[in-house]
Amino acid sequence: MLEAIDLVKRYGPVQALDGFSLHVEAGEIVGLVGHNGAGKTTFVEIVANLIRPDSGHVTIDGKDPAAARGRIGVAPQHLGLYPSISPREHLELFGRLAGLRRAALRTAIDDLAAALRLTGFMDRHSGGLSGGQQRRIQAATALIHRPGLLLLDEPTAGADLETRQAMLDVVKQRAGEGAAIVYITHYLPELTDLQATIAVARSGGIIARGTHAELVDGLPGEVRLTLGEDEEIRVSTTAPTATLIDLLSRTDRPVSAVDVRNPSLDDLYRSLAGNDAS
Amino acid sequence: MLRDIAHRTGALDSAYRVAAVARHNTIIRRRDPGQLISYIVMPMVLMLVLKPLYVKAVDGGATQVATGLLVMFSVFAIAIAGNSILVERHWRTWDRLRATRASATELLLGKTIPIFVALIVQQTILLGYGILVIGLPVPRSLGFVVLAIMVWGFTLLAVGAALATIVRSQGELSVVSDVGALTLSSLGGALVPLSIMPGWAQAAAHVSPGYWALSMMQAAIRGEAAGTLLPVGILLAMGLVAGTFAVRRLTRGWGRSRLL
Repeated sequence: MLEAIDLVKRYGPVQALDGFSLHVEAGEIVGLVGHNGAGKTTFVEIVANLIRPDSGHVTIDGKDPAAARGRIGVAPQHLGLYPSISPREHLELFGRLAGLRRAALRTAIDDLAAALRLTGFMDRHSGGLSGGQQRRIQAATALIHRPGLLLLDEPTAGADLETRQAMLDVVKQRAGEGAAIVYITHYLPELTDLQATIAVARSGGIIARGTHAELVDGLPGEVRLTLGEDEEIRVSTTAPTATLIDLLSRTDRPVSAVDVRNPSLDDLYRSLAGNDAS
Repeated sequence: MLRDIAHRTGALDSAYRVAAVARHNTIIRRRDPGQLISYIVMPMVLMLVLKPLYVKAVDGGATQVATGLLVMFSVFAIAIAGNSILVERHWRTWDRLRATRASATELLLGKTIPIFVALIVQQTILLGYGILVIGLPVPRSLGFVVLAIMVWGFTLLAVGAALATIVRSQGELSVVSDVGALTLSSLGGALVPLSIMPGWAQAAAHVSPGYWALSMMQAAIRGEAAGTLLPVGILLAMGLVAGTFAVRRLTRGWGRSRLL
């Protein structure tokens, strides 16, 4: 569905993308993670045909992004809403621009409003809504026409637990219907929930890609043992259970607490992208 | 089911998208009509107050005060066109529209049609007020008047759009449009009749769009074809240059940290 090959983009002295390649199949959710400045947003802007790469190319179902715009839904990182316009009017605008008409448009709006929990404020001015509500409206404008390719850049930022789950459910549903989804987030547990393939961006390229299990395989977890009231032993290990048994067998002091943490996406994130913070 | 609605093409679909953007922008304008109202009410008040002075100062004083203030305050209305485009950058909405199925031309048409209508409404109301209250003669040719209003509206819209793509903030736009409007319309004879202005000002008036707009309006009201059509051509040319510049800026990444 989406094929980006060897994208390069430079802004003056800043190398935003440097050989960025990513492939997303129909029905696949790719969680794109990486520190600020890793190139994620530039990648989205190129795929959405908002900027052009210096070199490399992107195809969507074999077509240039300019020719495939009707198949893309984009919810960018920065909020872009009209303050005096209601969520319903936003959805009407973006639905109409995508070609939806009358009953189909009304149905799409009602369905999405219910799924994303927008119904309570559909006719209020968007400028008066909370940041989380505005972000959901923005995501809804990307989803309204059920595009084949969804680019969602931090769609749940500022959302509470319930609405975050509602968003994730809609994303999973769209992937189930066959949409290819690029999901950018700093909330890594969301990617586990979405069962997403994870791509780690760093310095303008993708440095690792795989499932959660594949990527954390071989990463150290942590065993924490509290002895008595104040002594704590922390061991970073790739075999947490064996390490715990070993620690317990070697101590003769009373153990007041034990904590075993298996390697997580946060560990992966830190180990792969930790030196690239900006 | 995912919808594949990307292949719809053709004039009807294009018109549908233009109408969607125009409708959207009409709603925005309707909810914030302050600027337009002030540019209609202020010249009405000034026409009434200044009419006795103009009538005493020059022949055809009623025509001069009505058309002069119409031109001056329609130039001020450039700020309406400029603002409506500039806020898309402020709200970060222009890229959101660019990422949709709509082409740049469709977006620009939909964006500018409501502003164009607003400019036409402003001029029409002021002309009607001039005729009914100030004593402006009833136009001999409605066709010429309609042509003049449309052409002037187009020129103002194009210049306002071009300005919006140059300035960096609404403050800058206000300065440029207000100072520019006052200078160009005054220099063009909209505030003080050209006949009582100094020689250098009369010579310099020809570079001002305000001069050509005033000449066009007055000739259109008199029903003079030649006097109307020459300014029409000049203003259309000015509008096309400004409009082409604006379209190039707006379709090539305007509003981003880096242009394409």
